[in-house]
Amino acid sequence: MVNFALFGAGRIGRMHAENLAQRSDARLVYVVDTKPEAARALAERLGARQAGVEEALSDPQVHAVLIASSTGSHADLSIAAARAGKAIFCEKPVDLTLAKVDVCIREVRKARVPMFVGFNRRFDPSFRDLKKRLDAGVIGRLEQVIITNRDPGLPELRFLASSGGLFLDFTIHDFDMARWLLGEEPVEVFAWGAVLVDPRVRTEGKDIDTAMLLLRTASGKMCHINNTRRAVYGYDQRIEVLGAKGMLRAANLAPTSVERSDAEATCADNPWPNFQTRYAAAYAAELSSFIRSFEKRQPVEVGPEDSRQVLVLAAAALKSSQTGRPVRLK
Amino acid sequence: MLEIAQFGAGRIGQIHAANIAATKDARLRYIVDVNADVARKLAQRYGARVAAERDALADREVGAALIASSTDTHARLAIAAARAGKAIFCEKPIDLSLSKVDSCLHEVEKAGVPMFVGFNRRFDPSFSALKARVDAGEIGAVEQVVISSRDPGPPPLAYIKVSGGMFRDMTIHDFDMARWLLGEEPVEVFAMGECLVDRRIGAAGDIDSAMVLLRTASDRMCHINNSRRAAYGYDQRIEVFGAGGMLRAENLGATTVEHFGPRGTVADRPLDFFLERYADAYRAEMSAFVRALTQKTPMPVGAKDGRQALVLAEAALQSHKKKQAIRIG
Repeated sequence: MVNFALFGAGRIGRMHAENLAQRSDARLVYVVDTKPEAARALAERLGARQAGVEEALSDPQVHAVLIASSTGSHADLSIAAARAGKAIFCEKPVDLTLAKVDVCIREVRKARVPMFVGFNRRFDPSFRDLKKRLDAGVIGRLEQVIITNRDPGLPELRFLASSGGLFLDFTIHDFDMARWLLGEEPVEVFAWGAVLVDPRVRTEGKDIDTAMLLLRTASGKMCHINNTRRAVYGYDQRIEVLGAKGMLRAANLAPTSVERSDAEATCADNPWPNFQTRYAAAYAAELSSFIRSFEKRQPVEVGPEDSRQVLVLAAAALKSSQTGRPVRLK
Repeated sequence: MLEIAQFGAGRIGQIHAANIAATKDARLRYIVDVNADVARKLAQRYGARVAAERDALADREVGAALIASSTDTHARLAIAAARAGKAIFCEKPIDLSLSKVDSCLHEVEKAGVPMFVGFNRRFDPSFSALKARVDAGEIGAVEQVVISSRDPGPPPLAYIKVSGGMFRDMTIHDFDMARWLLGEEPVEVFAMGECLVDRRIGAAGDIDSAMVLLRTASDRMCHINNSRRAAYGYDQRIEVFGAGGMLRAENLGATTVEHFGPRGTVADRPLDFFLERYADAYRAEMSAFVRALTQKTPMPVGAKDGRQALVLAEAALQSHKKKQAIRIG
């Protein structure tokens, strides 16, 4: 039985809490939030207690923390948890700045606690199977990766201005998928960003809403990523990998497989509308992975170093899009 | 009735000859080829005559020249046809060098003859339907285009050496599709090229894998991915993303039969290569050419398109070599 303290009772925190509640090998003990009422409501519903940071971290019965608070608090809470000797499950990203991620990695290492970073897409059953087959050599040597990642709609403009920008907030998932699938670190990044969805993204959000990127590894493997903040047909999440012996593709998933054919056309369901629905299984599976590695004392599947690497790629993409030049990485 | 003199009786020439024969307003009058046997065989098959270049072009009955000979002869033949006052159907590319393309365009313009360049993919039923729906505003303003274009296997090394390189030889089709679908001229090109399929291609100075990005003045973006070898066949897909949705054209198999077995569901692989995949497109482009001539309407794809695709190919090559984005125009 792994006892958890949850930090953050917002949208993503509630989802993790519910996933914890459904497990027989884990228990939610505390819920911590800057809004105590929100924490209390969630805690009561799931048989846990509302608490402050100190209280939750000083309880020796707590084995692990699940950090799902706002991004700016991830690193500090991780460091506090590490010092308290707790295993850490931290939502992505650890932080938006490399310096802070580095401090966090150092503290976590010093404390010798496991730290897992929630790059949920690696745990999507389809993407995971694709990766497994890729690793098994089904398509031979990998040559090209294509990642399509399109959000269903713009977030609030207020959020955009504080999000760190499209590459840090959104493409970050694709950078992680790219590294994971390529099996090698990208050494070159080229990125174009644009505002095509809504001009207020630039004026009020100080951001972009559309991007195309190319990545290249030292051995010449290439990866294309395309992004937009608005796909009217839903949450568009596809992966394609080309190898010497063939191709593997993971297409969008829809709520049902029903097709309607009429005099005009044949219509199928749109893809799942958002990340909560599309990656429901992935969120449950990443929690399983964390708990399994904790109980078996095995290394976590995705760690803070991965979060650091995607930050490096996001920073390179931003620089590339601003200078119009490819950025080389060590 | 449009009388056509055809130059080149090779693989693609045979396709065009058959399509002329199937077009009711056109007739194949002459076949010209350096290989007399091949010319004779093809001429006999379609009731045409073998002729020398000069005689074919001197015949006043000939309304159009169809140029399907080797690439290095395209420009010269197009100029000769223009000077003889013939309408021109020219296989892509017009030439591998921009200066030669420009002198060809100059001569064609001077002669005032119509010239069609055989970017066959525009006439593929799926791609042309997709384009018509983009133009009809079905998905609103175009924002992103993704073109997957992968050959089933690399051509012989001897061909690679004279091909002008992958961007000019293969990606040129994708550059044309990109321009056509974006609805605006790309103003910037970034290309990564690699030799991943066969080292001998690299040794011959070429690449066999590429990823390209294009951008227009209004920030519409396009991604093209290429490989000289897709183990599963000729991979030809297009995706256009717009403010109001997405349009996609998938690969076509020989049949739609699916086999459901204990280990999965198996469908046909994509049609094997361009002659099969684009059989309808070759037929449709010939009809379009003949229709434009008989109805005296503008050519749906002309010499300037041939030139622009080459400009993009050269920019891509430069980008690949210099590892930087290249601005156009």
